[in-house]
Amino acid sequence: MNYSAELSELIEEFQEIDDKMERLEMVFDLADEVNLLPIEDWNDATRVHGCQSEAHVKVSLVDSNVNFLAGADSKLVQGLMGILTMAIHGINADEVLTLTPDFATEMGILNSLSPSRSNGFRNMFDKVMNEIKQQM
Amino acid sequence: MRDEFPILQRKINGYPLVYLDNAATTQKPSSVINAMNDYYLNSNANVHRAVHTLAGEATEGYESCRTALKSRFNANKAIITSGTTEAINLVAHAWGRANLSDGDAVILTEMEHHSDIVPWQMLAKEMNIELRYIPVQKDLTLDMDLFEAAIDGAKLVCVVHISNVLGVCNPVADIVRIAKANGARVLLDAAQSAPHQDIDFMELGADFMAFSAHKMCGPTGIGTLLVADDAFSEMQPFLGGGDMIETVTIHGSTYQKNEQKFEAGTPRIAEAIGWTEAIKWLSGIDIKSEHERILQSARWLASQLREMGMTVYGRHDDNDAAVVSFLHPTMNSEDLAHLLDARGFAVRTGHHCAQPLLERLEITGTVRVSLYFYNTHEEVVSFVNYLSEILERFA
Repeated sequence: MNYSAELSELIEEFQEIDDKMERLEMVFDLADEVNLLPIEDWNDATRVHGCQSEAHVKVSLVDSNVNFLAGADSKLVQGLMGILTMAIHGINADEVLTLTPDFATEMGILNSLSPSRSNGFRNMFDKVMNEIKQQM
Repeated sequence: MRDEFPILQRKINGYPLVYLDNAATTQKPSSVINAMNDYYLNSNANVHRAVHTLAGEATEGYESCRTALKSRFNANKAIITSGTTEAINLVAHAWGRANLSDGDAVILTEMEHHSDIVPWQMLAKEMNIELRYIPVQKDLTLDMDLFEAAIDGAKLVCVVHISNVLGVCNPVADIVRIAKANGARVLLDAAQSAPHQDIDFMELGADFMAFSAHKMCGPTGIGTLLVADDAFSEMQPFLGGGDMIETVTIHGSTYQKNEQKFEAGTPRIAEAIGWTEAIKWLSGIDIKSEHERILQSARWLASQLREMGMTVYGRHDDNDAAVVSFLHPTMNSEDLAHLLDARGFAVRTGHHCAQPLLERLEITGTVRVSLYFYNTHEEVVSFVNYLSEILERFA
């Protein structure tokens, strides 16, 4: 799979970390990468189902590039949203649609999470991809 | 004691496991694991019918569990179930359907686990029975004035002995006395109390008492419903099948007279054998002094958490369980649990299957630390130290 330079670098950074705590700390830090979807815009349409936390995403296309807004009541979930932001935000929709959740597996982050959290990430990924497809 | 629990030697992410999720399930001593293993290696057979040696050993092993339960909890009838949930559902189906009718009331409390709410809601839909919920007050106790006001016309009172969220021990002797004076039967959810207290079922006077093996060092998938003799005589069979019958013809069947009437199908033989060993293990320790020891640790933990700015939900009176539920003012509970797990600390987060209670407390979940007899105060201290570190780095 060919990833963007930024995403490839991020995958490598995660792969270099052995300690689960440090990996989680890095996910926490990536919460700052999210383009925040304001809480007042959270609704049923933006909700990521199957996630134990409140997690909301909104996708639009600007000149065929993905504009990704997100927000969650958990910093860890928001960190996962930050990773997805780095993977898809501002990138051409056709290119984004070639992505699979494998990049998160390669990072080793899904193994660091509870099954419910890693399922939540997959649900978020699927929701985002479906919404991109619908808007193309 | 810790040497008897092999899993406690395990490392999680390179750090020693500190298992603080005992209200969800407890770990198992080698004696329980070995007994189950030995059954499958040497005695595996079906129970009650066949005359061969293995069947005899299996039957003896299975029935030894019933004997141990009756002896430890002073009961005449012990129906073996898959756990507390099935035991409560059994009361709803085997007793409720036969003894409740249109307009009858069943009393529940807001402190109940979902397993003592949902079966009654399902029955209420079918049978037009009224469910009356006793509220939990600000001091985390049941409103006994409202209980006394609600008892008139009630046929059954369902109450949790110890809350799985708060650790609060309810005044069950008073509840039984008031219920009996008003002609109501009492179902006690003892899932959290049976592992922590010596309970005399007959002396307590409840009609039904449900609990599980896995919260008292026994295997998962097995529990019991202790039943008083007169309540037992009012129960009708629920699940039909093998082992619960005396005779079957194409015109009809007759049923066993004893507990087997409610144990259709091949029972949980290995689990029963394992549970017998767990009961032996529990009988070998001084529960009262062990309970006092871990309750002291829970009290210390609660005070430390309050000093750290957490909201603690619990009072930790003498009979309460060593359970500490808490919330950080800003940090998400699951985030906290993930960070704790990174250093081997196992805690529970979420609604703990008690959403009506959490609604009363105006919260959606807590972080819960629950101690058992193999936990040490040093583990609790290390938990506090690591939690402080997390808060410094992440909060």
